[in-house]
Amino acid sequence: MNRLNIALVVAVLAVAIYFSTISPGAMQSLQSGFMSMLSPFLRTGSAVQENIGSVGRRLKTLDELEVENRKLTGENRELRAANSLLNELEAENSRLRMALDYRDRSSFKLMPARIISRDASTWWNTVRINRGFEDGVEADQPVLTDQGLVGKTTTVSKNEAIVVLITDETCRIGAKIESTREQGIITGLRVQENSAEGLLQMNFLSKNAQISPGQEVRTAGVAHGSFPPGIVIGKVKEFRRRALDGQAVVEPAVNLAAAEDVFVLIGKK
Amino acid sequence: MNKTFIDLAALFVGVVLAFILQDNLPPMAEFHGAHVLLVPLVFCYAAMVLPFPAMLAAAFLTGFLSDLMYLHIVGGKVEIPIGFSIVYFVIFGCFANGFQPAIKSRNVTPFVVLSGVGTSLFLLLQFLAITLQRGGFIWEPSVSWRILAPGVMATLIAPLFYWTLSHMDRFIPDGSRKMRPIKR
Repeated sequence: MNRLNIALVVAVLAVAIYFSTISPGAMQSLQSGFMSMLSPFLRTGSAVQENIGSVGRRLKTLDELEVENRKLTGENRELRAANSLLNELEAENSRLRMALDYRDRSSFKLMPARIISRDASTWWNTVRINRGFEDGVEADQPVLTDQGLVGKTTTVSKNEAIVVLITDETCRIGAKIESTREQGIITGLRVQENSAEGLLQMNFLSKNAQISPGQEVRTAGVAHGSFPPGIVIGKVKEFRRRALDGQAVVEPAVNLAAAEDVFVLIGKK
Repeated sequence: MNKTFIDLAALFVGVVLAFILQDNLPPMAEFHGAHVLLVPLVFCYAAMVLPFPAMLAAAFLTGFLSDLMYLHIVGGKVEIPIGFSIVYFVIFGCFANGFQPAIKSRNVTPFVVLSGVGTSLFLLLQFLAITLQRGGFIWEPSVSWRILAPGVMATLIAPLFYWTLSHMDRFIPDGSRKMRPIKR
């Protein structure tokens, strides 16, 4: 290797080391720009993959469609009735709050989103959704379905966002166990056999806590945290007593492999 | 100089295409969720056919795009910073570049072996970097599968990739692959 080549290697390595020292925010901005550029190509690929995969599912008979339509129409009527009742209750609630001069509880707006890509990397459990900062999505916002918590947003580009799933070890959530006073930190496992059926671990519980399988686990809503209180995370599968504390193994409420439509909590209504 | 630029442009397109393809390929459930990785394979080929300075540019480009694609930042904490893959591809590229005479003489074995080794080594180093960040060493059978299976897949894909590119030579105006005469 001649001197020029050695100098070139040193120069490239120096630039690489320089990049590794830039702030996480700047790295996220770079990634966001890159995602925006690559987004049309990745979306086309995802759409092709989805179309190929759903060919069998789409072939339904007319009878099946009629049954489904009847069921959905009934469900729609039921939901409309429930909704009008809830609207009345909300109005009544607001009136009473005003009468009592009670501080209004913060409520959130749900932004519907669709998962466009999943399991893209080997070591991290992430998905990409089709909503970005143009839709009001920001980093560290909770993502959920009607069944429970899915994860939270990390890097957000113009029309897309990366969501780190609750089954990832880096996604830490303050959680509490229903009908107990037990609170702990929920994380995923470093290597999930299958992120869909991946279990969660809840650490820092009391050693002598009375926790039994089937108890529901919800977000605790710690101060300055990403998650508001009360979102369902999953159910306790097993409780282990360790030398210093207790650990609960939790089964997620949402089937993360099958989830297609999610909601992003994008702030106060 | 013109030829090198064409090669680098072709590499850029190849790497982006590899990213799109590997992003859309689902993980292999039978192999404990291992992924098919194409980018190290594409880079390995480029490193074996490009001249040394161009190989360095290719390593920088591939590493930079790879880092941006899989950058994982949660709560302001970076798992593997930008620059990690650049360093890896520079070192791997320096090694692969030494096998240039083999590929010139149409000996495909070093390319096939290096593609597999390069892919698995990349994943192993990523795993070690994550372990260093998070603490606590965990090694399960699925870790071995996720590191070794992509390497084996790359080894299987490499001859097909080489064969395809060899037959695409005539469509590339002035690519480095012209170094190898193809008699038809």
